Amino acid sequence: MEGILFPHGVPEGRESLSAYRSRGGYEALGKALQASPKELIKIVSDAGLRGRGGAGFPTGKKWQFTREAPEQPRYLIVNGGEDEPGSKKDRVLLENLPHLVLEGAILGAYAIGATKIYLYINAQYDAATQSINDAIAEAKNAGYLGKNILGRGFDLDIEVTAAPHNYVAGEDTAVIEVIEGKKAWPRQKPPFPVTVGLFGKPTLVNNVETLANVAPIALRGADWYGKFGTTESSGTMIFSLNDDVNRPGVYELPFGTPLRYLIEECGGGMKNGKKIKAIMPAAPSSAFLPADKIDTPLDPNSMRDAGSALGCGVVRLIPKGTCIVEEVLKISEFFTAESCGQCPACRMETSTLTMMLKKVQAGQGGQPILEQFGKILAFNKGKGFCSLIGMPGPPIESALKLFPADFAAHLTTGNCPEN
Amino acid sequence: MTELQKRIDDKGLTDVEVKSYMCFGACQEGPNIVLYPEKNWYAKVKVEDLDEITEHLAGGPHVQRLDTIDSSLKELIYQLLDTGVM
Ligand SMILES: Cc1cc2nc3c(=O)[nH]c(=O)nc-3n(C[C@H](O)[C@H](O)[C@H](O)COP(=O)(O)O)c2cc1C
Ligand code: FES
Repeated sequence: MEGILFPHGVPEGRESLSAYRSRGGYEALGKALQASPKELIKIVSDAGLRGRGGAGFPTGKKWQFTREAPEQPRYLIVNGGEDEPGSKKDRVLLENLPHLVLEGAILGAYAIGATKIYLYINAQYDAATQSINDAIAEAKNAGYLGKNILGRGFDLDIEVTAAPHNYVAGEDTAVIEVIEGKKAWPRQKPPFPVTVGLFGKPTLVNNVETLANVAPIALRGADWYGKFGTTESSGTMIFSLNDDVNRPGVYELPFGTPLRYLIEECGGGMKNGKKIKAIMPAAPSSAFLPADKIDTPLDPNSMRDAGSALGCGVVRLIPKGTCIVEEVLKISEFFTAESCGQCPACRMETSTLTMMLKKVQAGQGGQPILEQFGKILAFNKGKGFCSLIGMPGPPIESALKLFPADFAAHLTTGNCPEN
Repeated sequence: MTELQKRIDDKGLTDVEVKSYMCFGACQEGPNIVLYPEKNWYAKVKVEDLDEITEHLAGGPHVQRLDTIDSSLKELIYQLLDTGVM
């Protein structure tokens, strides 16, 4: 089946404005501006589009909340912070399909009545930033941005901001802080950005991939979109595979495609013919799945039923012969390092978990130490300004449940059973 | 810390060790002093409070006014200390 974002496979180079237009580019904008913003929000809601930034919030609903916020002006932020280890989907979209992203953002801005778009792009993405800047210039020339867009009296300004290279800087309220010129510290919520966001004004923050879906939906309609995916999760999602498979890359697949298809058909199976020990469908913060769940469909509900999550689609495979204690220690160290440090609970949780895992790895503490993991996680659940505090839990708890032998071996011998 | 150590030395308390610890998750309530293994937690401690705390260590009364930390956090941290995790 053809894709929505990559109708002809992952594009090799950057798509020019003329190439984009020759396949219907900016027709959705022309069409939408003939109708009311309300109608556009309805199409996106009917399509069932959900956020691809990790939380899967219904996009139409978020647009409506922002539209209904009484304050003016309103802003739209395109979140291309993308600092999730191994994620590259937003970079590919920004770099190769800049007009697809831009048209989606302009449509979103029209829907919510925004006067300005902020494109927030990972500071390390030089080519993507260049590509988007060129696209902005082209779009302005063509009358898709600026004053009186397509003669319909809609004015829209746009600005590019560099996203600092740290994980929390992609959290929506941290994004807002950075654009305001402050450090990337998430804000306490509520209020949510849809009512009190950038400079205190209603702000829509959407992921790059979410917005890239908007122009195709607006052009072809909710029914067409619903032909992709499952009844509960329509559409496609871009998955990122990394060095653990033979063919690393990004792959767009309809929701509901079996995980096995992604790993074997797209990724060409595990490198060096290794066998799978565990699968992490949303690295680094999802629960591990055992290898026998390889036929789980790639959609949020099926993943939840299988005991994990889909997140933003960075699928990691843990080969047999890998010590799971060491894997979760690395993950825990990542969250300890990335915790912004403003919430005492998050600091305590992440640093204590890492220290405990180090003890387990070194064979200290005995069985009682294992019982403390769940207590620390339960105690800190829901605390902290952002959801990072909840991220180390699923990997650690699933590892304890699925691979108790690895932990036991470390505790009794101080050595890894897999080495 | 040096102030506390000085008072303890002055009192001649030889079985008390003063040391800094990793984060207990209550820095907003700090500075914190946890007496362990007897499990007393004093928060928002000021230099003026140290005499009373030293008294307590020497067998004096519990300093109720500084005992403000949420009991569930206390319980968690005491457990971690008990299992030797911290
Ligand atoms: C620690 C942390 C990091 C995040 N990083 C990103 C990111 O890099 N890109 C992104 O789009 N969303 C990220 N998010 C999610 C955003 O807060 C927000 O939910 C998202 O941008 C909303 O867009 P969506 O509704 O289109 O998914 C992150 C969240 C957390 C808690
Ligand atoms: S608020 Fe600091 S890591 Fe979440």
